[in-house]
Amino acid sequence: MCHKVLFMIEEKKVGLPVLTLDDLTKSYGAVQALKSVSFEVPEGSVFGILGPNGSGKTTLLSIILDVLKANKGNFLWFGHAGSKEQRKRIGSLLETPNFYHYLSAVNNLKITQSISGRGNIQDIDEVLKKVRLYERRNSRFSTFSLGMKQRLAIAAALLGDPKVLVFDEPTNGLDPVGIAEIRQLIIELRSNGHTIIMASHLLDEVEKVCTHAAILRTGELLITGKVEEILVDDDVVELSASDLDALVNVLKQLSEHVLSNDQLNTVQVTFPKGTAKLDEINAFCYKNGIVLNHLILKKKRLEARFFELTNN
Amino acid sequence: MTQIIKTEWLKIKNYPAFWWVFGITALTYPGINYLFLYAYHDIISQKSTTGQVLKALMGNPFSLPEGWRTMAFFSSFFIYIPAIVVIMLITNEYTYRTNRQNIIDGWSRKNFMTAKMIDVLLLSAIVTVLYVVVVLFIGLSNTNMSAAGKWDLMYYTGLFFLQTFSQLSIAFTVGMLLRKAFIALAIFTFYSIIVETIAVNVLHYKYKSEAGKFLPMEISDRLLTKPVFLGKIDEAAYQQSLEAVKYHVVYSIVLLILTWLFCFWLNNRRDL
Repeated sequence: MCHKVLFMIEEKKVGLPVLTLDDLTKSYGAVQALKSVSFEVPEGSVFGILGPNGSGKTTLLSIILDVLKANKGNFLWFGHAGSKEQRKRIGSLLETPNFYHYLSAVNNLKITQSISGRGNIQDIDEVLKKVRLYERRNSRFSTFSLGMKQRLAIAAALLGDPKVLVFDEPTNGLDPVGIAEIRQLIIELRSNGHTIIMASHLLDEVEKVCTHAAILRTGELLITGKVEEILVDDDVVELSASDLDALVNVLKQLSEHVLSNDQLNTVQVTFPKGTAKLDEINAFCYKNGIVLNHLILKKKRLEARFFELTNN
Repeated sequence: MTQIIKTEWLKIKNYPAFWWVFGITALTYPGINYLFLYAYHDIISQKSTTGQVLKALMGNPFSLPEGWRTMAFFSSFFIYIPAIVVIMLITNEYTYRTNRQNIIDGWSRKNFMTAKMIDVLLLSAIVTVLYVVVVLFIGLSNTNMSAAGKWDLMYYTGLFFLQTFSQLSIAFTVGMLLRKAFIALAIFTFYSIIVETIAVNVLHYKYKSEAGKFLPMEISDRLLTKPVFLGKIDEAAYQQSLEAVKYHVVYSIVLLILTWLFCFWLNNRRDL
């Protein structure tokens, strides 16, 4: 039976949250896309929203950008109810790049600039250079490849250097070089104090760039908090010695959860979070006649944690 | 408001399809009126008895002031051309999903709909200016300069504008509801030319009911009455249609308000 894993990790707040979600609920007919989702996005964080397809990531971002209406609950940007003035301060890329196909890159960004009031004509050139589209600035949007369209959408979001950015699958359609560039860009933005809210199903990406994350499954919030806190829920220690059976017997005195892997010639021992002391384990084994040749506290990868939480 | 108009201009100014259809619109209005003018001159120049009888019956429908009415009537046949522009302007936003991008970038839904209403309003005004230019060109060249009352029927400019704005607003609503340009244009044209015409005549002739005058296009169709020479076929009915114009001004304004209230409400209500 599928059991819910729902818990919130205590958040150390840094200043006023940029975004607060409170009990956000959205249905499409009988399908409940979001179920009472609540969390906060701290200022200066790179906040990853993770979940399998259909988990409600884009629905959530669409609600906070006023494209969809929530059935219940509310959200606050900078401590205030969402409004057009606040959206003007946020650079956003939601789902697919949406531009006028008959207009050039520059003319499309002029419209973004006119509506949002962010940046000026010189800034348009700057952001086009940043995403490597400057040479094609006068080409029609309809002539762009998928990757170029995505880069133009990122340029539109970056226009005027907004302090908050919302990216929905920002690396969609990009080649490996493009993906690495966007990753680098996000890291740069983070170091310049920007807050980035990013929905993605590329767990490797999130693990590399995000400071915080929320994991959704079928509209339900499973966990939220700092990435390193999400990754570690138990301490997993990996050990090895020449006599694996003897090692297992000794370790069973320390923990009930001892698992040996004969193929890798290692033993994994699980301790409650924060209780594994490597020096004490080493000393205990030595005292019991075991000389360790391998001892490491393993960090769980986000991918493993994600599959564990979403029961995939 | 200036920012909204500027943004709409940025969307339109480099849109080739818009300028093509706009160019066709600009040619159609003088074109249709010149066509009827040449036909008229052809008829009255005939030396036959029929030609002379027709000349006596028709008078000169292109001289002022009657030209205001005649050319408003003929011009109104071509509402479908600017309707293409209106339907393109709204359905493009759905096709490219830029309606939602405009909101994401910082417009309210009300801003978006106001922008579209301004588009329709400006297009109606431009078409009306075209009508006035055509009337002045054709009308003044067919009128004796010393003739009195040349400007008496100039109020047809207002009626023409009201009809254009009202019918283009209906075209806009159809585009907004259906979201696909080709389907919206087909439905709008089919409804206006076929469905409503049949409905009005069936109600009138079969059921002896005048309810047809309250159908969406018919409400404003009745603002622009036939030229006088066509009214001579049934003078009593023609007089009645002239009398009804003032009521249809009110009906058209009410319909316009309801149309735009519906559009604003729908845009505000539905997910983008």
